Amino acid sequence: MRTFLILTVDGVTNGFVYAVVALALVMIWRATRVVNYAQGAMAMFTTYIALFAITHGVTYWLAFVIALGAGFLIGAGVERVLVRPVESRPPLNVVILTLGLLIFLEALAPMLFGGQVKSFPAPFSRNDLTIGTTQLYVSPFDIFVVGAVLLTMVALLLFFQRTTIGLRMRAAAFGPEIARLLGVRVGRMLALGWGLAALLGAMAGLLIAPAIFLYPNNMDEILVFGFTGAVLGGLDSPVGAVVGALLVGLGLSYVGGYAGSDLETMGGLIILIAVLMVRPQGLFAARRQREA
Amino acid sequence: MLEITDLTVAYGGVVALDGVSVTVAEGTITTVIGANGAGKTTLVRTISGLLKPLRGSVRVGGTDLTGRAPEAIARLGVAHVPEGHGIISEITVDENLRLGGLWRRDRADKQLAIEEAYELFPPLLTRRHLRAASLSGGERQMLSIGRALASRPHVLLLDEPSLGLHAAVLVQIMDRLRTLTRERRLAVLLIEQNARSALSVADDAVVLSLGRVVARDRAARLAGDDALRHAYLGF
Repeated sequence: MRTFLILTVDGVTNGFVYAVVALALVMIWRATRVVNYAQGAMAMFTTYIALFAITHGVTYWLAFVIALGAGFLIGAGVERVLVRPVESRPPLNVVILTLGLLIFLEALAPMLFGGQVKSFPAPFSRNDLTIGTTQLYVSPFDIFVVGAVLLTMVALLLFFQRTTIGLRMRAAAFGPEIARLLGVRVGRMLALGWGLAALLGAMAGLLIAPAIFLYPNNMDEILVFGFTGAVLGGLDSPVGAVVGALLVGLGLSYVGGYAGSDLETMGGLIILIAVLMVRPQGLFAARRQREA
Repeated sequence: MLEITDLTVAYGGVVALDGVSVTVAEGTITTVIGANGAGKTTLVRTISGLLKPLRGSVRVGGTDLTGRAPEAIARLGVAHVPEGHGIISEITVDENLRLGGLWRRDRADKQLAIEEAYELFPPLLTRRHLRAASLSGGERQMLSIGRALASRPHVLLLDEPSLGLHAAVLVQIMDRLRTLTRERRLAVLLIEQNARSALSVADDAVVLSLGRVVARDRAARLAGDDALRHAYLGF
């Protein structure tokens, strides 16, 4: 029972981080119909920026904000400079471009920041809380992770549903040509979407780094797990992505805990393959794909 | 209000519009009729900036639109209701309407414009919080036209509004269009394959065939020209 509780808490906490990555992937998928394979590498890069700031005397919280801001700028910049020129070409071109960006960032990071594994600070204790003599299996940092992700999700929901910029972004994603005829500056909305997605990625990088350490390809697995969660949810649905990612987090935690931690990554792969074989449209009855 | 001069458009070497000139005055409806492939949709798509002309110009109230981006042209007061309604079905009816004229600064008037659209097309009001995907063909057309009007345009481009509509609904929508054109001093360009309905509502008419203007006259007179009707309009 004790093991089960520990694994469950672990799975939920990790699942929330995967959910942020999954949301970032869904956001770009909905806007551009491509999977951004550089999502993880971009997050790795911004985590290095945060660590660089912290080692130069900046507080954790300011470094957190700097990393999110850097993520937004990198994401929007990538859309404007790299994606836009190939936008009208087949989607595969953009996909290959994001793979190239992944390789580029993972090569650039060790040149700028050194290639060795580094520890990354957590703003709260990672030791489990106790009430009296009862251990709770939950650390203050776990609570922070879950709280921060939930808060971000609510903020995103309100942004997309309640603001006119959010409405413009949805219009640009669902009907780019119609949106342009209605005066929506679709190009700007795409850049904004990529920026927001990279901001989410940056947040995931910061939240997971204390547990997995920081090195140039530390986000590779996290991207795969987030992607699996997004596919599980149908790739088109934000709610599906969150639920899918939580399931992946829990599933992997149990696989790692009961079957051996070496099997965790394999477990992710197996879930992904199983979903693609049995229910390629995701667990949630996803809407039919829009025709271009 | 809308002045199209010598407009020539080609798709990779194939000329779709060849030196077309059309003028639409304020408060009037000009219909562009002709068979499939005559270049009607090419004409409206070029006016709204989705296609770039090889030659010629489009002006609205003296401002040259040629070469501008669609979103810039929309903001200059050209509302385009595209073929097949052009609503965004994943968002609600109300959200679709709010997209009309979203760039305008006057918040109170934006709200008023949306309320006017609901008054104009009451069936939309009961469905306002539903996804636009749930609307019938006629309701989609109402939403699309209502949304275009909510942006308070000077020029209204309608591409095949009759497509997929019951005759009764079409008559109703066309009646309202006529009144609105007069009231709001709109310059309306009505693209139609359904020539009979178009000629009954329009003031002026232009017949396109294979990218060229082959006839232009008062709509009433064109409707009475038997030879022309047989040759180009098929009724």
